[in-house]
Amino acid sequence: MRYLKLPHEKRREFLIELKGYGILYAPVSISEKNFDYKKVDDVDTIRFDYNRTVLPPRKYFFPPNETLFKFDKKDCRLIDAYEDPGTFVIFGMHPCDIIGLRVLDSRFIDDQPDTYYKRRREKGIIIGIDCLPDEYCFCNIRDADFADRGFDLFLHELDDGYLIRVGSVMGHKIVDACDHLFEAIKAEDISVMTRKEREKQAMFQHYENWDNLRYLLELQDSHPLWERESEKCISCGNCTLTCPTCRCYDVQDVPELDGNGGKRIRFWDSCQYREHGLVAGGHNFRDTKLDRFKNRYQCKNAYCETMTISYCVGCGRCTQFCPTGINYRKNLMEIRGDE
Amino acid sequence: MMQSRNIYDTHVCRVLRVYPLTDTEKLFLFRFEDPSIGMNWRFKPGTFVELSQPGVGEVPISICSSSMRIGFFELCIRNAGRVTQKIHSLKPGDTVGIRGPYGNGFPMEKFEGRDLLLVAAGLGMAPLRSVFLYALDNRWQFGNITIINAAKTGPELLFMHELDAMRDIAEAENITILQTTTRDERWGGLKGRAATHLDKVNVDPNNTAVALCGPPHMYKSMFEELMRRGFDPRRIFVTVERRMKCGVGKCGHCNIGTAANWMYVCKDGPVFDYYDMISTPGLI
Repeated sequence: MRYLKLPHEKRREFLIELKGYGILYAPVSISEKNFDYKKVDDVDTIRFDYNRTVLPPRKYFFPPNETLFKFDKKDCRLIDAYEDPGTFVIFGMHPCDIIGLRVLDSRFIDDQPDTYYKRRREKGIIIGIDCLPDEYCFCNIRDADFADRGFDLFLHELDDGYLIRVGSVMGHKIVDACDHLFEAIKAEDISVMTRKEREKQAMFQHYENWDNLRYLLELQDSHPLWERESEKCISCGNCTLTCPTCRCYDVQDVPELDGNGGKRIRFWDSCQYREHGLVAGGHNFRDTKLDRFKNRYQCKNAYCETMTISYCVGCGRCTQFCPTGINYRKNLMEIRGDE
Repeated sequence: MMQSRNIYDTHVCRVLRVYPLTDTEKLFLFRFEDPSIGMNWRFKPGTFVELSQPGVGEVPISICSSSMRIGFFELCIRNAGRVTQKIHSLKPGDTVGIRGPYGNGFPMEKFEGRDLLLVAAGLGMAPLRSVFLYALDNRWQFGNITIINAAKTGPELLFMHELDAMRDIAEAENITILQTTTRDERWGGLKGRAATHLDKVNVDPNNTAVALCGPPHMYKSMFEELMRRGFDPRRIFVTVERRMKCGVGKCGHCNIGTAANWMYVCKDGPVFDYYDMISTPGLI
């Protein structure tokens, strides 16, 4: 891997350089406590110290709603309505979100690739940045606290700049085009980085091995936790909408008012909604809130074979943004008998 | 660079024939508009298509014809929702959109050299008709065949007349056709659930592949009865229904299982074997 150092005083210039590749999206402050990815015009608004964004960056590859096709009433032909976003840059992705995106890739870019997701994925430049865990993070348990692939460039903060890992051909091209901004890595930079990595590791709250969790979730199907916790749930779907690996969607045809044509749209769905398991004729395969609550825990903790980790990357969003205070990690630990 | 085909795009197909089967089900014969698609389109018995009417929506429907006929296929469609209601109003010459086929289908290659027992209840006859007609078209690959078709009442028996009209062929080809109803006083034929007629089959339990399709509550009693009679659980297959919106393992609506074994019915199914059925919570 190629390593470079970006001194702090060159950071601003580097960000402006990135804007030259296309629209720049980065985490900005949206309220007193919350952050979100937004299109950035003024690079000084970018927050390097954010904990997590409300929505994960998957929204740039798999938008909350999009038009798949347009059609004419005259025949049954569908016209691809994909809108090319052009090359764009996502700056500031944390390891859990980079790995979350690769988990999404494993489902969306398989032997039958999702045409829309794949085309956008090819347009996105990903610049990762290291972070420190807060009380919601358990990415270390999920093996998602360090991104070894899935980015073009990755920044590790040092005391006086950043150690950059170059992760792709595009990454090489970007740094080559502005090589005057970078310095060579020195031995002391490496020791600062290793010290910071160690400090980060010491900040997590839990260090158990959760490999047995998916079997325990199956065996503990009648654990009292399910009733107790699903009782609190209001089926709002926040946990799935903010999840970096959730990918359920629904599709609907919207006819034009003149009756001559229309469009086929898709939009994020949630397994927490009652209609999710409903089939024609009225039968619902997940009829109760309890069924739907369990469904999410099972899905998120299933094994993603391509990534050899679970579908959950431990980002903490579903717990932080749950309006009724359901603590997902705590619940999983209760299933495991940890607390 | 040329992009590969959009997986959600559909092929235009023309309705050639509409045949009412019951009060709520109609049989549709389709042909592909584009001959190069039609000649190259293949499916396995037990797979399904996404059938689309732009402006109304898309629905998953099992293919119910023999996979030996190239360029044409049949769908048995129940008028159950918005899309299927619209489809029911179509006439010969009208067009629809089709994508697929999707799903694993029945492992017909594993069935070769064995007797076949097909047990259908209600709408379950649709996918099993594809297996049955395939077996007839490849008669020399299989031993004796029994098909049990069950419904609440006689008028609700899918393909009742078609199966009835096959009596001569059946006799000449060692095929037993049993049609039974569970709640029809006026029905002159067999009565009772499918499981109660397993003493009338012409297949050898030691060398039979079983294919089942029916409402979820049928499977438990069927499994018990089949085991009791010595059928090999490794050769019992079931096709199940879920809300298969995308057909390609992405939209999430048909998910089943637990964290230990997470599956999508549209991609990992809709055909499952006995051991999948008993070890996957929520599948039965």
